[in-house]
Amino acid sequence: MNRWLARRWPAPHWPSVRGRGRTDVGPLLLTAAVIAGVALLAGAAPALLRAAADNAVHDAVRRAGHASNVLVHANWERDDGPTGGRVRLPRLADDVDDFRARATYLLGPDLDAALLPPIAVVDSPILSITGGSVPRTFQVAYLAGDLGGPDVTWIAGSAPGPAVPERSIEIPSNGPPWPVQVGLSEAEAAALDLGPGDRIPVRDGQGPDKDVHISGIYRPVDSADPAWRLIPALLHPVPGADGVGTTRFAGLLSRESLPDARLAFDEDQLRRTVQFAPEPEALAWNATARLASQVVKLKAASGPSSVRDQSLKWESQLDTVLRDARTQISAASAQAAVLLTGVLTVTVLVLLLTADLLVRRRTPALNAARQRGAALPDLGAELIIESTVVSLSAAAVGLALARAAAPGVSWTWTVPAVLAGALAGPAFGTLAVARASRDQRQPANPAARRWTLATGKLRRAAVDAAVLVAAVAAFVTLHQRGLLPVASDGDTGELTGDLVLPVSAVALGVLAGALALLRLLPVGVRFALRQALRSRRPLAVFGAARAAATAGRVLPLLVLVSATALASFALVVGATVARGLTDSAWSTVGADARLDVGADVEAATPALAERIAAAPGVGQVVVAQVTDSARVFTESTLLTPRLVIVDAAAFQRLLATTPLPDAPALGRLTTPNPDLVGVPALVRSSDGNLPTGTRLQLTRDGAPAIRLTAVGTAPSVGGAADVVIVDAAALADAGLPVVPNTVWVTGPGAARAVSSSGVAADVVLRADVLQAQRVAPLTAGLLRLAWTAAAVLLALGLLGLTLAAAAGASERWQTLTRLRTLGLRPRDARWVAAGELLPPVVVAAVGGPLLGALLARLMLGPLELRLLTGQAADPAAVLPWWLLGVVSAALLTAAVAVVPVESALRRRDRLSEVLRAGE
Amino acid sequence: MSSAPLLRVRGVHRRFRTGPTVVHALRGVSFDVAAGSMVALVGRSGSGKTTLLNTIGGLDRPDAGSVHVDGTDVTALDEDGLSRLRREKVSYVFQSFGLIPVLSAAENVAAPLRLARVAPAERERRVELLLELVGLADHARQRPAELSGGQQQRVAIARALAASPRLLIADEPTGQLDAETGLSVMALLRGVVESEGVTALVSTHDPVMMALADRVIHIQDGQLAEEAAGQPDEPVPDAR
Repeated sequence: MNRWLARRWPAPHWPSVRGRGRTDVGPLLLTAAVIAGVALLAGAAPALLRAAADNAVHDAVRRAGHASNVLVHANWERDDGPTGGRVRLPRLADDVDDFRARATYLLGPDLDAALLPPIAVVDSPILSITGGSVPRTFQVAYLAGDLGGPDVTWIAGSAPGPAVPERSIEIPSNGPPWPVQVGLSEAEAAALDLGPGDRIPVRDGQGPDKDVHISGIYRPVDSADPAWRLIPALLHPVPGADGVGTTRFAGLLSRESLPDARLAFDEDQLRRTVQFAPEPEALAWNATARLASQVVKLKAASGPSSVRDQSLKWESQLDTVLRDARTQISAASAQAAVLLTGVLTVTVLVLLLTADLLVRRRTPALNAARQRGAALPDLGAELIIESTVVSLSAAAVGLALARAAAPGVSWTWTVPAVLAGALAGPAFGTLAVARASRDQRQPANPAARRWTLATGKLRRAAVDAAVLVAAVAAFVTLHQRGLLPVASDGDTGELTGDLVLPVSAVALGVLAGALALLRLLPVGVRFALRQALRSRRPLAVFGAARAAATAGRVLPLLVLVSATALASFALVVGATVARGLTDSAWSTVGADARLDVGADVEAATPALAERIAAAPGVGQVVVAQVTDSARVFTESTLLTPRLVIVDAAAFQRLLATTPLPDAPALGRLTTPNPDLVGVPALVRSSDGNLPTGTRLQLTRDGAPAIRLTAVGTAPSVGGAADVVIVDAAALADAGLPVVPNTVWVTGPGAARAVSSSGVAADVVLRADVLQAQRVAPLTAGLLRLAWTAAAVLLALGLLGLTLAAAAGASERWQTLTRLRTLGLRPRDARWVAAGELLPPVVVAAVGGPLLGALLARLMLGPLELRLLTGQAADPAAVLPWWLLGVVSAALLTAAVAVVPVESALRRRDRLSEVLRAGE
Repeated sequence: MSSAPLLRVRGVHRRFRTGPTVVHALRGVSFDVAAGSMVALVGRSGSGKTTLLNTIGGLDRPDAGSVHVDGTDVTALDEDGLSRLRREKVSYVFQSFGLIPVLSAAENVAAPLRLARVAPAERERRVELLLELVGLADHARQRPAELSGGQQQRVAIARALAASPRLLIADEPTGQLDAETGLSVMALLRGVVESEGVTALVSTHDPVMMALADRVIHIQDGQLAEEAAGQPDEPVPDAR
């Protein structure tokens, strides 16, 4: 205790601090620049990622469309009349308004703020339109928001009115169909060729015809009104909504005709629903867990659908959409964290190297100060004051720049760099002075020298083993646990403690690999020296001798190998994501371009395909009928796969000309097989439970089902998990004529040809899909970070090379000068210098990219890049060899340039000065 | 001195500029050294000893004056000429030995012979002879770190003698050695001067070395002590 009390606080000698600062302004500025640069990157990246996360949530909700809506259903109150009939309820629209208000109240404030104003929908079951050559369906629907339904202009007739003037009336249960008036959109009226006053011939299944009259024809004031999206058939006919080859129409109810609609159907047939569409811009990433949880709670509180009461029954996929988005964001965050960890690792190593250089320059002055009586704590305090001021100022500048460049700033990732900058120099300097003042010389006793040597080896082995164990632990954790945080409502998206080890796996793997190369380098260099000693070339001997003398230096090789390996890893990540996006775009579109033909022009599709095929630059053109959610039964289950009816041979040829996987099984669809029952089909199911030989039945409206037999596995079409492919001719023979609605086109002129087809069709271009994926917030952010990290790491590697050369320059030129006193010519001295510098650089230039590529192969799987690329499976690592070659070439070029530059800088130094400095 | 001097130094001046300050390290130094003699250069720290040795060996160039070694005007040589001079006529022994740490004692001694492209067999014979001469025949395969300071300096002396130079320049060769080891190194230098017929110019503070030298030159403030007394161009008399 007394000893502590007697101790004085370190007393820095300020003139010395200022003097050293002025003398070493270069290395200090370099330290500051490195810290500021990394603070800028590490400070801005998380904030940019958070912004990208918000955008990604918006994007995911937009893409999900109706699936992200929150729906709530409730049964109607009974309309039993006092005499056993049904009562017309004239205030039914008010009941619907009350229902909408009650649902809104139950949402809670958070969810309410994230959703658009609700729209109540009352819709009927799907009716069949009788007559006509193609299956058509019909439903009546009522839409009501807080301000009423979507605005329309009645261009003919009038809005639907009540069927009877009496406000309240009881009708017999077994009476004739109750009349109901509806409005038809302009497009539908034209398609059905009906007008005001006409009756729509509709029937409920096998039941009697309904008495639905057209009161008027309307034109929507704003066809983009969100309410229309809930029942698109109210605007125009919707093909395929009710099965292969069907077209759905819809009639609009008014507040006045709604009570009649209820009576027109059985008591429970008319369904009332309140739909809340999310407002994407109001969804923030950090609120998604809370919102998803609220949706789950609402769904859990729903009454059972079998119970006939007025309790609310909630439905929504919003929680799943938000969870998927969160998973994607978590994956992107973890992937970004892996890259940032790599950058920080190399930054810390470069800062250690800078500190090493600084201490080498300062050791004589520090030793002199120590000899003049300066205490070690005083010197340490002086050094730490200087380094802390430099590091903190630089970090502040970097973070300020980050704040200016990004919507926020995160200082967490900057801490390791600031600590390394603040502590490494003082620690190295104090140790160097302490070592010098201990005056501990090489022991004269050989046994003592051997003991010292063995102790050093043991210490190095312990460090190597520790890094190796950490790397293995991180690798195992990464593979077993993965990178995604454990889902919880409290998850804020920040990097949690349990993720530190797996996120560091790549950096630790690189360090372990670099240490292995570090231990192998002296062995290789000593071998080269032995070979050189047998030769007659003195320069080879001296070069190899210098290389052998410096091969044990830890920091230069660690920096060079780590920088090149991690830069290569970042390049592999970038290339893999870029290739994954390309593959995903091919999978989504199925060709260079795709036309999704509207129902009204489906008949013209074959002629359209012929016209496109004749256009310049078009390769393959294949027409198909693609129907999503087709109803296919197996013996035990109902499937809703994507049904593709196509000319199998043409489809096979098309696949052969694209990067999509070939599907030789398509040949089986056209191979005659008398033993086969039904039409041969290729089947792909997400659970893999439909092996060859499985019998299926394709249902049709108003016609017997068609029997299919699985003869192989279908290729993925448009990324669908469940696919059934049938040959068009075989299906036509079985009685189902094909109405093509899809045209796939390949070739350089495909985009131009489909874009100028002149028909009402949705044009999907692979280039557009790819571009949309590339600019998707998370994907674009991660790609930018990968390329930036690679560039920064390469720059740090080159800086490390320069620092390593500078740190060893004094000793190197001392030795070269001594060799010149033996008669070595100045120009030969450069070769000897190159002999010293090149081995670690060659090892890093060759070993770094290979190490990076190896780690990418081992560790890309758990990074779950597929969540960003949209691929079905984790993509294999794509090695961009020419970019890896650029990394190697940059390093080798820099090393080759260092020698003449250094030689030119040293030319003015007199040999006598160099020797005197070394004494 | 019956024959022509091996070393002739005439009117050598050397100034160093440190910021605004100009330091006159050498002020018109002149002297001759006869071949086969051992000369001790004596003076306080900063008196100009090392500058004079560097100027003689071509490691530094004088501002004025001339240096002739074995008839060669050192001050007129270009870099290649100086390299040739160091390979053939002048060698150095430094206070800090200057051995290559990863090479064995024998390989260090062989370094000048490699630069001179001496055939391997001749090189090995010469290295063996020199290590024998300095008493390290049994340590030929040991590296510098495995040798004591005195042994390392012996290796450095053997290396300096390897190419059979005419002039051996040693700048405080015992500066990092204890007294006993320093004496043995000095004795070795004395011995090799006689056995190899080399001329040695040795800067030292060591009185023992002065006693072993054929002649002692005192230098003070960049001038020979005697010259300071008014004999600028006269050779300094032998100390013995």
